[in-house]
Order: sequence, then C-alpha cells, then structure tokens
Amino acid sequence: MNKHTAKVGWLLASPYLIYSAIFFLIPLFWALYLAFTNWNLISPEYETVGVQNFIDALFSPSVRAAFWVTYKFMLMFVPIVIAGSLILALIIHHLPRWKGLFAVGYFLPYLASGVASAIVVKGVISYNSPFNQFLRDVFGLDIDWLGSPTLAALVIVLMMAWKFVGYYALLFLSGLESIPKEVYEAAEIDGAVGWKRVWHVTIPMLYPSFYTVTILAVGLMFGIFTEPYVLTGGGPEYATHTWQLEIYNQAFEKLNAGYGTAVAIINSIVTFASIFIFRKLLEKWGGRHGWE
Amino acid sequence: MKKRKWFKLVSVLLAAVVIGTGCQGQAGNEQGEGKQSSTVQIDFWAAPNPTQQAFWKKMADRYMEEHKHVKIKVSPMPESPSSEAGIQSAIAAGNAPVLSENISRGFAAQLAESRAIVPMDQFDGFDDLLRKRQMETTISTWKFADGHQYVLPIYSNAMLFGWRIDLLKELGYNEPPKTYSEVLEVGKKLKEKYPDKFLWARADLAKPTWWARWFDFFMLYNAASNGTHFIDGNKLSADRDAGVKTLQFFADLSKNQLVLTRETKDPFENGTSVMVDLGPWTFPYWAEKFPEMKFNETYVLSMPPVPDGMDPAQAKTFADTKGLVIYASATKEQQQAAFDFVKWVYSDPQNDLEWLKETNLPPARDDLSTNEAFVSYFEENPQLKLYAENIPNALPPMDNAQMVEIQELIGKQALNPVVKGEKTPEKAWKDMEKAIDGVLK
Repeated sequence: MNKHTAKVGWLLASPYLIYSAIFFLIPLFWALYLAFTNWNLISPEYETVGVQNFIDALFSPSVRAAFWVTYKFMLMFVPIVIAGSLILALIIHHLPRWKGLFAVGYFLPYLASGVASAIVVKGVISYNSPFNQFLRDVFGLDIDWLGSPTLAALVIVLMMAWKFVGYYALLFLSGLESIPKEVYEAAEIDGAVGWKRVWHVTIPMLYPSFYTVTILAVGLMFGIFTEPYVLTGGGPEYATHTWQLEIYNQAFEKLNAGYGTAVAIINSIVTFASIFIFRKLLEKWGGRHGWE
Repeated sequence: MKKRKWFKLVSVLLAAVVIGTGCQGQAGNEQGEGKQSSTVQIDFWAAPNPTQQAFWKKMADRYMEEHKHVKIKVSPMPESPSSEAGIQSAIAAGNAPVLSENISRGFAAQLAESRAIVPMDQFDGFDDLLRKRQMETTISTWKFADGHQYVLPIYSNAMLFGWRIDLLKELGYNEPPKTYSEVLEVGKKLKEKYPDKFLWARADLAKPTWWARWFDFFMLYNAASNGTHFIDGNKLSADRDAGVKTLQFFADLSKNQLVLTRETKDPFENGTSVMVDLGPWTFPYWAEKFPEMKFNETYVLSMPPVPDGMDPAQAKTFADTKGLVIYASATKEQQQAAFDFVKWVYSDPQNDLEWLKETNLPPARDDLSTNEAFVSYFEENPQLKLYAENIPNALPPMDNAQMVEIQELIGKQALNPVVKGEKTPEKAWKDMEKAIDGVLK
C-alpha cells in the first residue's frame, strides 16, 4: 500500500473515527475520571476520592450479589438457549419448504420490546391469571413465581431465552447450511448415522456458530436490565439483582454517579475477563476438532 | 503536490467539523444573550404526558399574548431512563431549562443540596402568590430544613384507601373501618365468608422498592403519628411509638393472611381484595376498563386507618405531589421572568380549574373543596371531593437528599421482614433506625 492509498483510507475512515472519538473514547476517559470522584453530576462541588469508590463497590453486598447473580443466570441461560436454538435450527433446516418464513417467525421475539414482554409475562404469572388459577384448581399448586429466589431467576432466564432462541437459531441455521453434503456422505460410509451423525459431524462442524452464540450469550448476561427492572426490581433478596440494575440505581436513583461509574468499570473488567475465559475454553474445544 | 492537497483537504474537513461544532454552541449563547436585552427566553420542561403539556402550552401562549417581552418554550422533559435522570443529565451537560414541573420534594432535596435550583421564596411576590392561590397551609409542610421553599406544589394527591363497599355490605358493614382493630375485624369476617379473598393485595409490601413506601408505610405512618416528620433536616425524627404500631398493624395483617404479597392483576377491581391504596389517577382508567366501578355503589374512599384510641377524624396521609422549580443555571432575569409567569398562572383559580379538568390532578390549594370555582366540578366528580378536602392533611415526601436510600432501608430493614414474619416490629424498627442513622451520619 502506498502513502497515497493510506491517506485515502484515513480520509474515508475519518467520519467513523471522529464519531468513535466523540461518542466512545471521550466518554471512556471521562468515565475513568468520574469513577475516582464523588460527583453526583449536578453539584458544582465534588472531590476526588482516589480508589474509595472501587473499594466500596468491592465490599458492597449489592455489587457482590450482581456478580454472582450474573453467573447464576449464565449457568441457566447458556445451556437453555444453546440447546433451544440448536434444536430449532435443526428443525428448520430439515423443513422441506418455507424455511425462511419459519426462521423469520422465530426471530420476531428478538424484536419485541423488553418492557412489553415483561409486562405480558407479569400478567401471565400473576396470582389471579388463568394459568395460575388452573394450577391451583387442577393440581393444587399455588406457586409464587416472583417471590421465590430460584423461581424468579428462572422466570427471567426463560423469558430471555424465549427472546433470543430465534436469533441464535438463525446463526446455527447458517452454520448448518454451510456444512458440505460430502462430509455427511463420508460419515455415512464410515457408519455415522442418526444421533451419531449429529454428535460426531454436525456439532463439531458447527463450531464457528457455537463460538459466536456462546460468546454472545455470555456477554448478554452482563447487560441484563429491563426484565428484572420490570418484573422483580432485583429481588427477592437480590436474587435477580444484575450489574445494570446496580449501576442504574446508584447513578440515577441515588445520584451516586461517581460510585456508579466505578461499578460500571468493574462490570466491564469482569465481562472482559469472563468472555476471555470462555473464548479460551471454546478455542480449546475447537482445536480438538481441527478448528484453528 | 497531490500529497499536500490531500493533507489540506483532511485538515480543512476536520477544522470545519471542530469549528462548526464549537460555533454552534457559541452562536446559541450569543443568540440567547442578544435576546436577553429585548426578549426574555424561558425554556419550560413540562411533565412527559400530553395533558400536562397541553395545559402549560395553553398557559404559555396566553401569557405571551399579554407579555410580549417574554418567550416561553414549553417542551416535554426527557425521560430516558427517567425524568429525574433526564434532568440530571441536562444539568451535567449545561442544558438545564429555566423552569420545570414534575419535581417531587425528595428529588428537589437532591437538587437543592447540589445548588441546582433556587429557593422560590427569594422572589418578590412569593407570599402574595401563596395568598392569592390559597395554599399557605398546604405549602407549610413543604418547607425545607433550611427554612426555604424550593418547590411550588402544583397538585397534591392526598392518598386514600378505596374500599369495596359492595363486599363490606355483604359482611355487614355500611362504611369502611377506621381503626386498626376495626380493620382486623373486617378481615376476620372476610376470611370466614371468603377464604380466597384478601383485605389488601400489594406485592410491593414484600419488596424494598423505595418509592413504594409512599403508598403503604407512609400512608399509615403519617396517620398513626399525626403527621410527625420522619426525617428532620439530617436527623431521624420519626415517632417511634407510632412507627412500631404501624409495623405491628402490618404484622397483624400478614399473620392473619389478610395481605396478598403476590403480583396480582387488578385485584381490587375484580374483588380479590377489599381495600386498595388509591390515587385519583385511577379513575380515568376505571372509566375506560372497569365502568362497573361506581362511587358509593361499588367502592367508597377513606383516610388511612389509625391505631386504636386515636381520633380517625384527625388522620393524616401521604401526599403524592409534585411541583415547579426554577434552575440556578438560568440568569437572574430569566429566573424572575419564570417566577412572574408562575405567579400569573396561579393568581387566577380558573387556571387551576382548567388544570383539574385537563389532568384530573387536584391543585395544591387549601380551598379546593370550598372555593366556588371548583364546586360544579366536584358535583360532577364526587369521588374527587375527599381528595380535595384532605389536601391540607397530606404530607409530602421527606426533604432529604438521601431519600432513596432511606426509603429503601425502611423496606429492607423494617416493612419487608415484618410482613414476611421474619422480625418483630420492635426489632425491625430498631434495625431500621440504626441503618438510617448510618446513612445520615
């Protein structure tokens, strides 16, 4: 590449670079500064407090709860959403016709507003809903869906899985479509049919899709806000208290913007570290099947 | 040569972006300053709902017709993720308006502590405004610990309890219970006749959601304490005896399975519960979704019940109320012009009547139930009369910048564990006091 071409490249990239500088880079440095202050964003006076915000955050029960709740959600959500989206993708893949129609149909929940979906779910599991009335009348089951820590977390996870299964199924579907027929034919000659074929051929060949979906799903767990905000407010007893709820409560409800920013920075470090670990684990698994 | 041309082109483009951005702000400022000499510009943020915006737009248009040197721009306040956060961001970015409504006393305390708003009582004509609007008693409870009035309340919803009078009559009562023991007695009879029904269905009783405390704990605490301030300045000043009695009442309701702390859809309307905390904003919803809810036929209203031995007629309650503030970032001229506009609006009760008709929210006036201007409205809307009568008996939220944390602790340390049967009222109150003292120190 000569210097002239390089300059054209810089020129063409400059709108995005300027945009990124204004909306990402400057806010990032600003956030780093803010995290070391006790500013509430509105007072003309504030002090730098060193690493106090970070120390307070590390010893805060609500931050610790957000940390563990994220992994609890991850433990439930990732297997459910991967299994669900893979099964869905396999079903659509084997449809004789209208694959596109079904793929788009299952993708629709992803486009639904989180608030609207949460309100619908709240209605479905409310005490006097037909669903709960049915459980009480027929099975004698009186379930407090949002009052039990485990069930409340499960409701949120299932709701999110419903929303994302269609989207992730599309990623798996594109992976399935790209597996060459020859690979299956060769496997068949070697005696791999039925479940053996799925287990030993399809799944390893879907490694790039697994990689993408897993990283997306893991990353998603660190950004949950709307569902617990509408359904549980983070309760009961912090069972559904997420990082984003904690940041929102601190920065916008309690006006502790400096502290809230410190929590956001810790959240981004934990997110980065978790995704890094998952990447390494996935790459190890992929390496065993010949993916570099 | 070509290299130089490219370099020049990039430099010019970047310079244009940077200078253009800078000039835009500067031009805006110059424009504003220029206008100050002839016209005063007031940016007014109205609450983000169409009825309130329509009212303020109408008022601003009328005012501008009479006052040609004032230009009022009414726009909805940003509410992403909440109106408070929108205001916070605007102040941080230097884009705060001159005047805004929709400010609660608690949020005003946060703004006042950060010197983001100015005291209303510093303006010439403030006392005259209070007299003309007949709101001296109502606003007395709004005074901040530093002796100033930072907010001019626009409306005040004296929170009441709704009772299903049709169900009460089935149980042999012609009016709602007024004391704790009367309430428990009604509950006992209700359970005998309808084991599946509850006295009060309120999921928030088991949640620490800070604002939910306004509509359960503070309604009953204000009634039990005869309106003793919970926080005074930066000190917990709550009436301990009244507080423990309030918690004991919640414990008794819970122990007798009279409260339902599960998410329930329209429990009062469909008869799952017999009582409900009720604000006047519910009536338009009922008119649309539950036309069968008829005042004095299906439901009646009452002030919160009081502990035995207290006079129910003296009961106080919580005021769900919001008002106007003037921002410190505005120029003195803009601030005075904004105040003059507010004074003009509230000097005529017809404007309050227009507000009431438009929004259904009772204006914060002492004379709302007696002033001739409102008589015909309350004859047409009798369910709002008790709200109007009790405006002077309703206390606004606390004026402490730590309000969110304090109210969260009331839930976490006291109300939630008492309702769940995890703590005795005495222990819960003690734990709550200790935790709040920790926040206030």
